Amino acid sequence: MVEPTASLSTLNRADGSASYKCPATGYDVLGSVNAPIELPARRDALKPEDATIEVFVKPGNTTAGVGERYVEGILRSVLTEVVLGRERGYPRRGVVITLAIVGGGSVERGDSYLTVLPALLHTSLLALLSASVPLAMTFSSALLGVTKSGDIVRDPSAADAKAASSLHVLAFSSKGHLLLNESEGCFDFDTWELIRERAVSICRGAAVSGTGEDVAMGERSNDARLDGFVRETVEDRLHVDYAWKIESN
Amino acid sequence: MSTPLILLPGDEVPSDYLPPTKSNPLKLGPGLRLLSQPTASSKSSNHVLTATQAGLLATDAKRNTVSLQSFSNRRYIPTTNDLVIAQIHHSSVDYFHCMVTPHTAHAMLGQLSFEGATKKTRPMLKQGDLVYARVLSVGVGAGAEVELTCVNPATGKAEPGGLGPLVGGMVFDVSTGMAARLLRASSPSAEKSDTVDGLVVLAELGKKLESLGGFEIAVGRNGKIWVDCSNAGESAVKVTVAIGQCLQSTDERNLDAADQKKLVTKILRGMKLA
Repeated sequence: MVEPTASLSTLNRADGSASYKCPATGYDVLGSVNAPIELPARRDALKPEDATIEVFVKPGNTTAGVGERYVEGILRSVLTEVVLGRERGYPRRGVVITLAIVGGGSVERGDSYLTVLPALLHTSLLALLSASVPLAMTFSSALLGVTKSGDIVRDPSAADAKAASSLHVLAFSSKGHLLLNESEGCFDFDTWELIRERAVSICRGAAVSGTGEDVAMGERSNDARLDGFVRETVEDRLHVDYAWKIESN
Repeated sequence: MSTPLILLPGDEVPSDYLPPTKSNPLKLGPGLRLLSQPTASSKSSNHVLTATQAGLLATDAKRNTVSLQSFSNRRYIPTTNDLVIAQIHHSSVDYFHCMVTPHTAHAMLGQLSFEGATKKTRPMLKQGDLVYARVLSVGVGAGAEVELTCVNPATGKAEPGGLGPLVGGMVFDVSTGMAARLLRASSPSAEKSDTVDGLVVLAELGKKLESLGGFEIAVGRNGKIWVDCSNAGESAVKVTVAIGQCLQSTDERNLDAADQKKLVTKILRGMKLA
């Protein structure tokens, strides 16, 4: 499995930004975060003690439509759990996340939007980290497809996703909790349980028991944990920024 | 100091990284929060420090503080008691409206909040003039006004020294992380040691430019550096530009101490100043 690549603080004028490329699905996402900012209108009446989180998803070659609205809703609900909107300076202010799908083809109308969701989730997390927005935890997310013959495939390509009988996106927090579970298609509970075990091993490298054992062993051995990927990306950037400090010690 | 520790949101701060416990309580800086975990075994809750941002853990044993240093290129958010360099946008009856950061609401600076200012003898600042000011208050909640002052309201003096209009000179932009570093390096407690936070560029410039009359510098937390060397006579412009270049390259390229010295020599030689 080819590891995704990412870099932090790629945009100069945004408070925080990240670019993320997933070679398996081919998506290339550029994300920017502006926070805390003053909201233009009084949109704060409902939750006066919390920050307002807004997510915009822009496809590379068309205008945003129904599919984008749908993932924006999912992203907003996940990120609301993660962002500490009650820290000082954040209540009644806005956290605006803009995600542009700049490469890898866009999702055709009618296609499943779940294939981009992990890339969007990782980009927004890295951009939030780069903007130093207070977060309760980090997370990692995986896309899994079940083929017609019942095999579980990690990061299916656009064609495979179209042919799959079901698609699943799961996200796990850095504390091991299940943050997000979005599924599409026909599947039963046993399949979902297998999917969950596989997703845990991809995201957190945790040991799993039962039938998924051999698969998990393979992924553990090459150390391709997604939460480790997020950590490494952030540590690399901090090492660059604080080279003067780290080297002098 | 032990090896640098990088934390991500949700990570716990290991207790052996904290300054040793003394009588005065530990102070938490930005990026950290205190959580209490109720333990099943005992009734007393267990306190843990967790990070809320990604950053490098920094502890100060003398002042008993612990904080997290995050990415250095973030936008400046006004905090009370910060020193900033503001530019006058326009003036109204009671206030000067100043720009501290671009694209944000103007900060207010009272017409009389200068040292020795009265209704008759107040500085007449025009649009575009610079002031070195302290953030007096940032207000509460969204849409609040940031208020600046150039005087300590208790004593009527410009404390710490140098607050007030900045005449002449030139302003350079640096990252907010670099501005914080420069301020730490020039704080009175840091004067004893030669290299604070790996910064030798100012000391080196001071040594090399002493013969030309030296220079004056003011650092604002909002990522602005004001440089003036009106004593340098004919080469004043060259010296100003050289100092600005040295500081900006140190910031952009994250130079270490040896490279900073090399850079200063190279730039001054290129300008035919040394």
